[in-house]
Amino acid sequence: MTDYAIEIQGLVKWYGSVQALYGVDLNVRRGEIFGFLGPNGAGKTTTIRCLLDQIRPQEGKIRVLGIDPQINPTAIQARVGYLPGELHLEENLKVEQLLRYLGELRGNKIDKDYLNQLVERLELDTSRKIKNLSSGNKQKVGVVQALMHQPELLLLDEPTSGLDPLMQQEVYRLLKEAQARGATIFFSSHILSEVEAIAERVAIIRKGVIVEEATPSQLTRMSMRQVSVRFLETIDPAPLAETEGIDLLSQSNGIQATLQVEGDMDTLIKTLAQFPVKDIETVSHSLEEIFLKYYRAEDQEEV
Amino acid sequence: MFAEFKHALRRSKGQIFGWGIALFLLVVLLVSLYDSIAAEQEAFQELLSVYPSEVSAFMGDMTSFGTPEGWVSIEFFSYMPVILGILGVTVGSGMLLNDEESGILDLVMAHPVNRTSLFMGRLLAFITTIVSILVIAWTGFIISMTWSTMDIGWGEMWLPLLSLLAVLLLFGALALFLSMILPSRRMASMITGLLLVSSFFITGLAELNDKLETAAKLSPLNYYQAQEAFNDFNGTWFAGLLASALIFTLLAWWRFERRDLRVAGEGGWRLGKLAEILKTKK
Repeated sequence: MTDYAIEIQGLVKWYGSVQALYGVDLNVRRGEIFGFLGPNGAGKTTTIRCLLDQIRPQEGKIRVLGIDPQINPTAIQARVGYLPGELHLEENLKVEQLLRYLGELRGNKIDKDYLNQLVERLELDTSRKIKNLSSGNKQKVGVVQALMHQPELLLLDEPTSGLDPLMQQEVYRLLKEAQARGATIFFSSHILSEVEAIAERVAIIRKGVIVEEATPSQLTRMSMRQVSVRFLETIDPAPLAETEGIDLLSQSNGIQATLQVEGDMDTLIKTLAQFPVKDIETVSHSLEEIFLKYYRAEDQEEV
Repeated sequence: MFAEFKHALRRSKGQIFGWGIALFLLVVLLVSLYDSIAAEQEAFQELLSVYPSEVSAFMGDMTSFGTPEGWVSIEFFSYMPVILGILGVTVGSGMLLNDEESGILDLVMAHPVNRTSLFMGRLLAFITTIVSILVIAWTGFIISMTWSTMDIGWGEMWLPLLSLLAVLLLFGALALFLSMILPSRRMASMITGLLLVSSFFITGLAELNDKLETAAKLSPLNYYQAQEAFNDFNGTWFAGLLASALIFTLLAWWRFERRDLRVAGEGGWRLGKLAEILKTKK
């Protein structure tokens, strides 16, 4: 058995003359919670849909739970729970009817106690028709159907979209519990706090290419920090500006300086040791800022 | 496949009951009127003798108006391919595309049901829907004939209905196939509907103009049997219509097995490159 729940190599996908994926490489280990980030149109949904054989790539190799989706898609689908990014449900059905139908498609292999537990925990009224549900409640139906058969792998496209903060927390708990049972969770999200809270590793996709893959804390460490230093007396900031990994962003009369530091703080501390320092203030970039950095890089390239 | 069949059939129950009850009432009315028509047959024959031949071309042999077979053929079977054909086209084009365009198929196809099973389950539900509607119409004939002098055998009554079934399956299958290759369900319905109505007119006009005979040979409705079915049911024509329906169904299945599931217009007509070439040439 392979160590990876998802293996993707050189995935290329064209829609007519539009190329959506330019050679995506990605490995998701079994049992981990993996966050998949990227701006709209970056290729997140296309990648997920290739995993389920809903669309077929022109190039590349995919293995989901060790199986090629193009050779045996139903074997994958039986072991996977999927929540689409744009969830559309049959409006005329009651929630219970829909869940029964989806259960029938899975050969009625649903643990009813677990299903009831999910419904209860997400405070879902199954006697109501889908068309009468709010978007948040529809999303709850989506979460329930993805989890109800206790799959080995969860592919979730924006799982907490439209849910209130309390329900978001409940979904995080459900995902953590699924992971504790041995499930792998691969989810895309725009909520960076969510990714920081539950993802063990993160990949950022931009324009159909993975541009970063790391743990959330590695990403945060890798980022630039902004440091504001106040000195006890006027200094010559030249040694600071000349140090590798440190950029002098601004200074005021040699008494205050704003610096940008790449990597760890050791070099900066050692350089500052030669000056009479009164105060240091460090602003660490959040994952959101790192994410925005990639967004902005895209905008700048387009300009 | 059975789960999908059951579900698709449950969704079609409105169509079955709606169309079925409407046809049932129409049939009861027509059969009930027959006695009055038969009683005044001579007067009607006199009136019909001055009807223009164009009417006969579309409605069937008007001289048989007073016979049970002639009456039901002219008043019911002559135009049913177009009326029920619209249902066939709507159901056929929407069999998969309805859910695909609304995004529902995205979730359904993430379940362990392979494309062939989904296709076959829905196809079976489509056929069952059409057959059920025709059975309800047939029941209407049989029940209302108990209080009428109209006397057509139970089995005999099935013959034009079988021919009608073959036509409906053919246009349904064509709509299904077109829905697999065209960018939208609406376009598939529109083109198939146009072909259906054109076929009706070409077949009718060919009775008046010999030059249209060749075109009529290509028209599916040329092989539809209304009154002819009572007299001499042509099994080859019936089988030909069913075989054509089968070919379109197989092509649709073949295409569905291989194509991307579309979401919000993804993967429609692959004319992007052609459009780019044309743009560059300009």
